[in-house]
Amino acid sequence: MAQKERITKVWIEEGCIVCDACETAAPTVFEVTDDTCIIRPEALNPDFTKPLTAEIVEAAEECPTDVIKYDVVLEDAPEGADAPTPPAAKSTASADAAGEAPAKAAPAKSPEAPAPKPAEPVTAAATAAKAPGKSDEAADGLDPGIQALLRAATQRGGNVGILKKAATVPESVQSIKRKPARDLPPDAKQARVIQEAKKRSKDPDKDRRALLNTAALTVGWSAFGVSVGVSCGPAFARFMMPNVLEEPDPRVRVGKIGKYVEMEPGDVNEDYKPQGIWMIREESRIAALSIICTHLGCIPNWLKNDRKFKCPCHGSGYRPDGINFEGPTPRPLERFKIFVEDGIVIVDKSNKYQYELGQWDMLGSYLEV
Amino acid sequence: MHTIHAVLAEGGAADAVKNAINALSGPASILFISIAALTGFLIWYRQLTKPVVAAGVGAAAVLFFAASALDSNFVKIITKPDNVPIVMMMFAVGFFLWLAFRQAAINDERMERGEPLIEAGADDKVLVWPDLVYSELIALILCTAGLVVWAIILRAPLEQPADPNVAPNPAKAPWYFLGLQELLVYFDPWLAGVVLPGLIVVGLIAIPYMDKNPRGNGYYTFKERRFAITTFMFGFVILWIMLIVVGTFLRGPNWNFFGPYEYWDHNRPAALLNVEFHDLVWVGFLGRLWPEADVGFIPAFLIRELPGILLLAAFFVLGPLVLKVLFFQKIYREIGFIRYGVLSMLLLVMLLIPIKMILRWTLNLHYIVGITEWFFNV
Repeated sequence: MAQKERITKVWIEEGCIVCDACETAAPTVFEVTDDTCIIRPEALNPDFTKPLTAEIVEAAEECPTDVIKYDVVLEDAPEGADAPTPPAAKSTASADAAGEAPAKAAPAKSPEAPAPKPAEPVTAAATAAKAPGKSDEAADGLDPGIQALLRAATQRGGNVGILKKAATVPESVQSIKRKPARDLPPDAKQARVIQEAKKRSKDPDKDRRALLNTAALTVGWSAFGVSVGVSCGPAFARFMMPNVLEEPDPRVRVGKIGKYVEMEPGDVNEDYKPQGIWMIREESRIAALSIICTHLGCIPNWLKNDRKFKCPCHGSGYRPDGINFEGPTPRPLERFKIFVEDGIVIVDKSNKYQYELGQWDMLGSYLEV
Repeated sequence: MHTIHAVLAEGGAADAVKNAINALSGPASILFISIAALTGFLIWYRQLTKPVVAAGVGAAAVLFFAASALDSNFVKIITKPDNVPIVMMMFAVGFFLWLAFRQAAINDERMERGEPLIEAGADDKVLVWPDLVYSELIALILCTAGLVVWAIILRAPLEQPADPNVAPNPAKAPWYFLGLQELLVYFDPWLAGVVLPGLIVVGLIAIPYMDKNPRGNGYYTFKERRFAITTFMFGFVILWIMLIVVGTFLRGPNWNFFGPYEYWDHNRPAALLNVEFHDLVWVGFLGRLWPEADVGFIPAFLIRELPGILLLAAFFVLGPLVLKVLFFQKIYREIGFIRYGVLSMLLLVMLLIPIKMILRWTLNLHYIVGITEWFFNV
């Protein structure tokens, strides 16, 4: 006479992920609802759970989150009274696992030499019950939890069932197919949605409609965009322009011509540097140089002792006439238009003359002395 | 006491040392010294990263700064609020180079002896709470404290209101851009400001596609990745860090070079008359002027620049072949034609930078190819 463990009470702790594994293993004990898993009311009775010990242990082992807990007592096991597995819970995949689990679980938990003790309740955490399941796991390399998930998917019309075609799909799956989507468990619901989506995408009318929709949307939005652009664009462009543009007169009066005539050739007059002009004197000409370095736009300094313009940013150097001769700058300083009105020299900064384009000999770029 | 006065007196031994250091701070010599130092470091990294040696080098560097602090010109440059981070950067770069190469040296020695690496069996996982969060909290507090102290001790380098007609002399970019500003002295803006920095980014992105060497993954080593690490160190230490240091400490008024103990004299004369490559070839070598007239549809300036164009073309066409024959037989076999093409182009552009700098310092060479008409100047 062997003693066997019998489950007197089963409960679920927090942490259920609604995976359907337990209901697959023990459908009469567990019921998976939309957001959690509960013990069916009739399964709260020890007399009900005792014959179902094997299923409950299996369910606890297979639970991916290990939230199924139970109390057990040791009882004399009548021959042949081993937990009968309800046919509904059996599938080809679960049959051997369900049959083997109790056979292995029993000797591991209570060895073959049982002391004839009075039935004594032993509280066992479900995690402890995992140990005997290890051999199964090693056998086919899959975690029991994952195996259970696969089984659940197969039985409840998951992807595996769909792949097997309707002929081999069990009645439970057939019934699932008849149910409306909102009554389905999550995995079947998702399969249904995918199925529907596939069906719709094959519909040629659907394609045509989608194309027409896209075309209509494109045309509509384009028309909207163009009309907005045409109506608001100019207004926006106007908005970006300042109402008042404070730009000083590009013509700068730089004094009487006499003082430039008196300069020595090669001299530089810095009086109008704040206006952006160096007045220079060449052998027979007066010219106006821009003070912007042609390398990267810094303001060079006039070094009187070295007789050169030298940029403090990268070391570009220019001769007094504005020709570059040292440092990185690629071209000479630019010259402004210059002319005389009533004996006053006027520099027009809106007109520039560039040496490398041969413009320094153009009329207006210099004053002949 | 008496001897100290004698050493520090005008014209004393200290002055001789300062003058020698000033003389060695010329651009060409400082480039050669730093390349030699880097090369030596990479050759003898096992001996040089020994804690005693490294501590000695670090102490020597601190001593150098401390002794130099007796010189008012040096102090003026070093303690400028803009420049303090660069001093910290020099020490930080030195420390982290030592840290990495020290571990590489240990690993390389262990590999030779067949022992497990430093990283063997190391578990990289850290608990977010409390380990990571605590570390971050401590780092945060230290950073904040450091910034507060920094903000209290150093005045913000504010200047007078900006005047579009006056540029400060010297006008310097933020310290992290000083390397690029230094490049702008030798190359055109589109090259120094766009192409070269762009190539740095592109080159860094391209590394995983060109580097098929699987070793050195997840552990420190130098022996197994000599070429990759040497190339990177050249680009980082020489072409980035050294250029920042040079731009910060050695570039003075009018963007002239000044030694670390020299007074920043705004009126110091410096003659740097540019020489064009086409002048060197046509006038100097061929003894004649370039043709003034266009030849068919080819403008005259292209013929003027023909020598430079040919030289550059040879550099970029023959360069990869020569490099392959001399150094890269094995790498070429490993990575194939296209990868090698990209690798050698990036390498040659990298080499072009110091080459052009040396040409500018020694020959005052302005452009190798100077097509100012098209704004294409190299």
